[in-house]
Amino acid sequence: MIDTPSVDWLALSPTVALLCASGVALLATVIVPAWMRRGIAAATALAGFVVAAVLAGIVFDETPTPEILLDGSMVRDQLAAFAQVVLAVTGAVVVLVSWSEDRRDNHGEYYALLAAAGAGMVFFVGAENLMTLFLGLEWFSLCLYILVAIDSERETSLEAGLKYLIVGGFGSAVLLFGAAFVYGATGELSFAEIAVADTTSDAFLLTGLAMILAGLAFKVSAAPFHMWTPDVYQGAPSSVTAFMAAATKTAALVVTLRVLVTAFPDQSEIWTIAVAVLVCASLVWGNLAALAQSDVKRLLAYSSISHAGFMLMAIAANSERGGEALLYYLVPYTAMSVGAFAVVAARERELGRPVTLESLAGLGWERPWHGIAMWTFMLGMAGFPLTGGMFGKLFVFSAAYDSGDWWLVLVGVAATAVSLAYYLNVVRWMYMRTGPELRLVPAGGSPPRDSALSVAIGAGVLVTVGSFFAVQPILDVAADAAASLPF
Amino acid sequence: MDGPDIGWYLIVAALMFGIGALGVMMRRSPLIVLLSLEIMINAANLTFIAFARQQGDLGGQIFALSVMAVAAAEVAIGLGLIVAMARRRIALDVDQASALRG
Repeated sequence: MIDTPSVDWLALSPTVALLCASGVALLATVIVPAWMRRGIAAATALAGFVVAAVLAGIVFDETPTPEILLDGSMVRDQLAAFAQVVLAVTGAVVVLVSWSEDRRDNHGEYYALLAAAGAGMVFFVGAENLMTLFLGLEWFSLCLYILVAIDSERETSLEAGLKYLIVGGFGSAVLLFGAAFVYGATGELSFAEIAVADTTSDAFLLTGLAMILAGLAFKVSAAPFHMWTPDVYQGAPSSVTAFMAAATKTAALVVTLRVLVTAFPDQSEIWTIAVAVLVCASLVWGNLAALAQSDVKRLLAYSSISHAGFMLMAIAANSERGGEALLYYLVPYTAMSVGAFAVVAARERELGRPVTLESLAGLGWERPWHGIAMWTFMLGMAGFPLTGGMFGKLFVFSAAYDSGDWWLVLVGVAATAVSLAYYLNVVRWMYMRTGPELRLVPAGGSPPRDSALSVAIGAGVLVTVGSFFAVQPILDVAADAAASLPF
Repeated sequence: MDGPDIGWYLIVAALMFGIGALGVMMRRSPLIVLLSLEIMINAANLTFIAFARQQGDLGGQIFALSVMAVAAAEVAIGLGLIVAMARRRIALDVDQASALRG
């Protein structure tokens, strides 16, 4: 009789729920008649994400102390559960954003892959050894490569898919090589054991650490590992871009925090500096390049690079307050980025071509609700009061200041000041420009009603503003989650 | 008789990784780029197996096995994309894939 490790099904249930949803959606493409496919696949994916969010909430509630599962390969703790809730809610909103996306076919495959990518991310944030880390990373990355290229009749979608595959594959190979070096130096794969193992060679361990960090930085899209981001965000279908900007970043940042804090506590002096360098590069490059963009999806891509910089600043603080600040920041950030890409998607469907700043002209007057939502998101990303973006930046800065990184705070404040220029520029284009662009709206008046998209945008606004007013409850939950890491 | 020391395996792996990385960055055909990615991944596999053997631990070997499955999936997707591009008669040259830029 083989002694098998016991399986904690409750901890795995969010992953299993999403995998089931993915399987059902895929089966639906084969079994049901064509006209029902989209509805069934979308409903299954939505149900999967909602069930996963509820189950992750139950896991959060029932896990006061971290537990190692499955022979040291997964961990059940509040950090993972918190990230899973954020990921699953993001996924559910993205399903609503994708509902009326113009696509010839492939609806079943689209929703199946979206649910599978969600399952991979939900699995990834609970990784506790290098193998589950790599497998989780590849699990959602492989799904995303296909999702980016799913509109294969569009040349830019294919090109974005190939670019993402090549750069993402390169990042994964670097991470894998780094993992091999860490394994060589310590003889262990599990994070907790890497932390306490006698290292045979510091050179191997540090090389491995640097390569793992670089591999994760590709996924977080922190500069200088960001070069794929603008192209892929621009070429991918807008709903996929929304999912990548919000969910991929959430998963990769949470795992970066977990790996660095649990596996490499003794090297913290080195990795905090390395992360601080990534922060400065992302803030400087993301914000300056965003100033020069005219395509709105590219602009938001550079803005997401700069947000990666802000969130990595919380990791560089290497303190419980930093962890808290990161987790709080994720809540308004995911809402704002999904919401902003949803507004872009709406405009794109209306005009039938890529959205540039010029084609936003007059959006605020023509589509007042989309206009109000977009300026809420833009002001939130810039960190204005009455949005959670303000507290997010405030907590990150105060965590960095407490850890003595006052110079990072200065860079952050300067970056915020620069970012005002392009965020407010979007608002200016929406409200203060009128011109021939207004006549580009297709004849026949208003576009078809898209209530799923409106619900998604409304949810984005609600969370962006709600996280300002409900700051204390969210912060308490984030503090509980951050407490599950051994700072 | 003793075989080569673990150092030799690591040198071969590092060389393979370097060759693969150069290939990804310098070659223009997406097929060769995919091939170079595979070389990089296999360099990591070789490192894992060498260290696993040195430490008498099976973890690294199991890791290498699962990586092979993942790498195969990645190549399948990459080839699929290349076929889709070839069908649409897009030039198979990564330097010419520049419809997306800002």
